[in-house]
Amino acid sequence: MKGWTGKTLIVDLTQGTITTEPLNMDIAPLFIGGRGLGARLLWDLVGPEVDPLSPDNVLIIATGPMTATGFQTSNRFSVSTKSPLTGTVLDANSGGYWGMRFKRAGYDLMIIKGRAPKPVYLEITPAGVSLHDATHLWGRRVAETSELLGQDKNKRNVLCIGPAGENLVRFAAIMNDATRAAARGGPGAVMGSKNLKAIVVEGDERVEMADKERFRFVQYEATKMLKANPITSQAFPEFGTAVVMNIVNAIGALPTYNFQQTHFDHADAISGEAIAETILVKNAACWACPIACTRISKTDKGEGEGPEYETAWAFGASCGIDDLIAITNANFLCNDLGMDTISAGSTIACAMELTEKGLLTSDLRFGRADLLEQTVEDIAYRRGLGDELAEGSYRLAERHGAPELSMSVKKLEMPAYDPRGMQGQGLLYATSNRGGCHMRGNMLSVEVLGLPKLIDRFQVQGKASFVILHQNTAAILDSLVACKFVNIAVAEEYLARALTSLTGITYSTGDLIRAGERIWNLERLYNLREGFTRADDTLPPRLLNEPATGGSAGWVSHLEPMLAEYYRSRGWDENGVPKPAKLEELQLADLAAEVIHG
Amino acid sequence: MVDERVYEMFREIGRDMYVHNLVSSHGGNISVRFGDRIIIKRRGAMLGRLKPHDLIETGLEKNDSGVALASTELIVHRAIYKATPALAVVHAHPRVAIALSLSRDEIVPIDNEGSYLLKKVPVVSVEFASGTKQMADTLAEALKSYKIVFLRGHGSFAIGQTLDEAFQWTDALEEAAQIIMYAKYLNEEMIEYRRMSDSYSSW
Repeated sequence: MKGWTGKTLIVDLTQGTITTEPLNMDIAPLFIGGRGLGARLLWDLVGPEVDPLSPDNVLIIATGPMTATGFQTSNRFSVSTKSPLTGTVLDANSGGYWGMRFKRAGYDLMIIKGRAPKPVYLEITPAGVSLHDATHLWGRRVAETSELLGQDKNKRNVLCIGPAGENLVRFAAIMNDATRAAARGGPGAVMGSKNLKAIVVEGDERVEMADKERFRFVQYEATKMLKANPITSQAFPEFGTAVVMNIVNAIGALPTYNFQQTHFDHADAISGEAIAETILVKNAACWACPIACTRISKTDKGEGEGPEYETAWAFGASCGIDDLIAITNANFLCNDLGMDTISAGSTIACAMELTEKGLLTSDLRFGRADLLEQTVEDIAYRRGLGDELAEGSYRLAERHGAPELSMSVKKLEMPAYDPRGMQGQGLLYATSNRGGCHMRGNMLSVEVLGLPKLIDRFQVQGKASFVILHQNTAAILDSLVACKFVNIAVAEEYLARALTSLTGITYSTGDLIRAGERIWNLERLYNLREGFTRADDTLPPRLLNEPATGGSAGWVSHLEPMLAEYYRSRGWDENGVPKPAKLEELQLADLAAEVIHG
Repeated sequence: MVDERVYEMFREIGRDMYVHNLVSSHGGNISVRFGDRIIIKRRGAMLGRLKPHDLIETGLEKNDSGVALASTELIVHRAIYKATPALAVVHAHPRVAIALSLSRDEIVPIDNEGSYLLKKVPVVSVEFASGTKQMADTLAEALKSYKIVFLRGHGSFAIGQTLDEAFQWTDALEEAAQIIMYAKYLNEEMIEYRRMSDSYSSW
């Protein structure tokens, strides 16, 4: 076996059994690994009758053929499950070291089923795989849990949940290497519902390659690209992802006060430059990553990781807060409690607007930096109002009679790019199959950063094609598994050649993108089977009706014409259902029969 | 109705291609894909002097009246869009590259920029090298793996997300071809400055 290890680990927590199975090579080349393979397996294992927090849901933790090979950013893994926040197909992925180590323990993926009768943790070492009692760990935070289980990034890597996962917060994260998060959509709550506290891995098996010499050449050429690109070689290492804060704000696409405005007067105070000047200790990198965008920061509460752009925005501009220390401390807390910072910040912003509009009784108001930390704690432990916030912004706003004030798509809170100033971004959010997400395609690159070339951010005609291409590409990156940031500099043709030299299976660039399209359509079928319809492919009314401010003043999202073009371009009917010819072309026709024909 | 921004893009790229000697007065063609639609240069229009009415919209798969007006290479553009992730296609007649294509099966740049951007440009041959299905299928298949491919004796076909990206590959190829030609004229031993340069042929 080249590229893949060929081994799947299956853990049944109800039965307490651990088995291995060979990787299904009928499907692996079609869905690659990570998110793609996860979605394919989820299709078989978790149907519409399954409650996401029931023992019948599964957690699929998957690497890809590129993981642990040493290719730039080949450290990542993916967690697939049915989301307790959105009810959609979900994958969340994370970097660090754990994914690399799991692959080097000798597995492509693991499927975790059932629910343990009491808290347990899983240990995978060269000596074997075993379940252990975790009663003494239950209730402990992420850093402490990781330390108690012997976290050592170069040898023994810990993946775990914090109190938020244990308490079934709908946007709880699965954390690894203490500070990295697979967070969006709440996979941590699924892990918590299974009474699984942690997974510890050790191992050092090397990945076998079909053509090592060619692989090294592709890697060498990719190095040139990463060194030459100013974002990957300068901007991200020096300022982190928050380097885009001032850029996005300048064009009037920075959602502010729960998307009531699109320009934040104090953006500079929470920008990458401000982080570098005030709290940054150093930058750091995941395994095999030359970019090193991670921020190691220090505040009065100690040293920790963050804030990323999305986090600085979620607790910052979205909440009308410009106190970088308070934002960073909230970030540190989310890491330690195991929670998605985007959903946490955006849900708090929603509560602030509900309160200011008299729909909710609370102290939360825009700008109340002093309440951030306590509110984050309350969410994780479901204390007081925190119990409502732990359900996410949509359920919160709906409960108080104003679901339209939840800035979410399919109940997943949107991140830090306002669709009114980036038309393609709106279509991306509306059609994203895990809800309002910026990692399902990279419109920032083409609409703002000019990668590979700048397109008009207000243009509507033709925008669907860009969204589709970037969605398909993102599906591939999540399946290889590689970081989205490598693709800022390293184009798909490099990835196709790397995959070919790893696996010995010829993937042209076109084949690779076609695999991404296959994955996207499968995820669409999954959501259709769950009962999602065209009506769910939309944006909060605010973005369709209330004009932007700042550099995008006067613009609203022109979603409808883009959506119609999108469905046609995808080969879907007017209801957003893939047509038989498209499914045939993508080798999905057999799976689709039950969705298309009932 | 084609957006004004789209016309401006066509006009600028078309003009640049002519100014850069990548096409003769009426040669070459360019297109973009908008979902299930293609916007392509009008048959017989001059790339260097495109007017709004020189942009023809037609179906990616389905024929309509647009096919009566579109470039003769429409069949090739359609095949490329169906087989690859391309959102733009640039077809040019770069002169030095054409000359090189007459004697080799691949053009491997020796300059830094060409090596960095292109690695290798394959040269393909077909019997009927203008507007045929054989030509369309051959080019589309090659462009699944390469962002720019050369049709022997005819010209280049480049793909990208945008016209300017596909234009960049085209212009870089012609620059690389000229440097190969100059180096050949000089007829001096080349001092290799690129690590792993032997591998470019395997790209």
